[in-house]
Amino acid sequence: MNKKTIDRLVTTSYQNDLLDQRKVNKIASLISRPDLKKYLNGLKFAEKKKNLIIASPVITADLKKFEKLFPHKKVILKKDPSLILGIQITDNDVVYNFTLKDSLDKIQNYLEQNYD
Amino acid sequence: MIDNNKIIETLEKKLMSFGGDSKTQNVGTVTKNTDGVITANGLSNAFMGEKIIFENGSAGTVFNLDEDNVSIILLDDASGIKEGDALRTTGEILSIEVSEDLLGRVIDPLGNSLDNKPKIKIGKKMPLEKIAAGVIDREPVSVPLKTGIKAIDCMFPIGRGQRELIIGDRQTGKTAIVIDTIINQKSDKRPVVCIYVAIGQKRSTIAQVIDRLNSEGAGSYSIVISASASDPATLQYLAPYSGCAIAEYFLEKGKDVLITFDDLTKHAWAYRQISLVLKRPAGREAYPGDVFYLHSRLLERSVKLNKENKGGSITALPIIETQANDISAYIPTNVISITDGQIYLQTDLFNAGIKPAINIGQSVSRVGSAAQTATIKSVSGKLKLELAQYNSLAAFAQFGTELDAATQKQLDRGKRLTEILKQPQFSPLTENLEVISIYAVTSGLMDDIPTDSFPRFEKELHEFAKKHYQDLLEALSSGERPTEQTLKQINKLVEVFKKRFV
Repeated sequence: MNKKTIDRLVTTSYQNDLLDQRKVNKIASLISRPDLKKYLNGLKFAEKKKNLIIASPVITADLKKFEKLFPHKKVILKKDPSLILGIQITDNDVVYNFTLKDSLDKIQNYLEQNYD
Repeated sequence: MIDNNKIIETLEKKLMSFGGDSKTQNVGTVTKNTDGVITANGLSNAFMGEKIIFENGSAGTVFNLDEDNVSIILLDDASGIKEGDALRTTGEILSIEVSEDLLGRVIDPLGNSLDNKPKIKIGKKMPLEKIAAGVIDREPVSVPLKTGIKAIDCMFPIGRGQRELIIGDRQTGKTAIVIDTIINQKSDKRPVVCIYVAIGQKRSTIAQVIDRLNSEGAGSYSIVISASASDPATLQYLAPYSGCAIAEYFLEKGKDVLITFDDLTKHAWAYRQISLVLKRPAGREAYPGDVFYLHSRLLERSVKLNKENKGGSITALPIIETQANDISAYIPTNVISITDGQIYLQTDLFNAGIKPAINIGQSVSRVGSAAQTATIKSVSGKLKLELAQYNSLAAFAQFGTELDAATQKQLDRGKRLTEILKQPQFSPLTENLEVISIYAVTSGLMDDIPTDSFPRFEKELHEFAKKHYQDLLEALSSGERPTEQTLKQINKLVEVFKKRFV
């Protein structure tokens, strides 16, 4: 099965921006195992595109404002204490980093590269 | 030594900017790992040649950009990377840290030390891939790069900024020419930084080369880049570009650099391997379609810059190994057409004891004569022609036909010329000594010396000249055409020495 067909199956699997379980089960039962893997990857990729992950050490009500900023995305709030301070936004394969952890990592890299 | 103030200053600067500089990263996921080539999805903003960092800290570089995935060649061990691992772009093109500290060191193509010496100081980041200098920045080759090998300096002179291919079968003395040339640079007035790039060779062979360079005192101005046969194909592919990046660092400072690629046949093999794993369409001899560009973009970086650009140069001596003397194979013809000449070494000559085993008829230097000094030009003018005539006459003489006196004389002279051009390994000569040797034969001064005594005669003549004829040697080092008086002095030197020679 080529990529075009897989993409078409993935698009068909959605109804009103939501996965239709009945359709997914039907498709999964009809295709071969290697194609099923491709189909699954296609679904994962489509889901990833729809989601916007916002990670922060503390979840506050302010973070809910992002839902208004990205009306066509499903905003997922994630608590991640390792970020120390700030916010990290993941939009598909692009990550925007405004965290203290990232700044400290940058400093660490700089020191490692420049000093023995 | 860590500068405490500098560290604190850097920390303050970084913390002050916290919150202001968002770092945008492009991330992806590994979907496949095949023989050091990783296929990943995501990375929609990645560009060709960009450095990629994997979850486990390994690095790679983007080699293919497809519709929905990216192929990355790994620069580290491939075993630690598995399907589903995260990876991110860095926004940096693959580069190497270069500083003066690299002189006398042995490194891998990524700049990591291989010689257990102290850590190499971080220097300037030089990109591995760079577009060569344009025509406006260049000037014609005009300064010689002396190899110290009589046959090459007289007949196939190499200029600074030239690309001269050394081609021949295995065990014909290709590496020896390169090593001799590097060793000879220590006697040059204008110092040359030498870079030896070993690609796909045995580690024992590379160790021998390093040992030889150090024992001959050439280590201090040389850099060895090692990508041995046991290293991944990706490192072997990158090695010559790393060498070029290092050479460009010194070029920017206005220095002259000699870079040797030993050898480009194995480089093409490494590239073929990578391309086949990447499923790029295979062409002639299974090489990908861009194998010509692979070498042309590399050798095009050899340059002689003009005065406005500090006047530095990069001279390249690529080596190609042929199979059964076939110089019309795919890679040899490609590199022959790219370079400014070739020195063709032949097994038959090597086995006949003619070392360096240079085939006079098929070797050429297309631009080097412009860089030859008037001194050496004056004695070697007709050398190539005389030797070519001798070789064709010698072929006829084999049939045992009766020869007239003129032909016999020509044969005798040719035999003597061939004999004087023989030179032992690791003993490069200065230009003045080369001139004395060649002049002694071409002017007939050595006609009464038996050819089997030539090596001893020449060696002792040179020692005698160094001891008693220092003025003559200095006059011959000026680079100017020898005067009548200088030639008379050479005559005198040889005649006086002949009386002492037993």
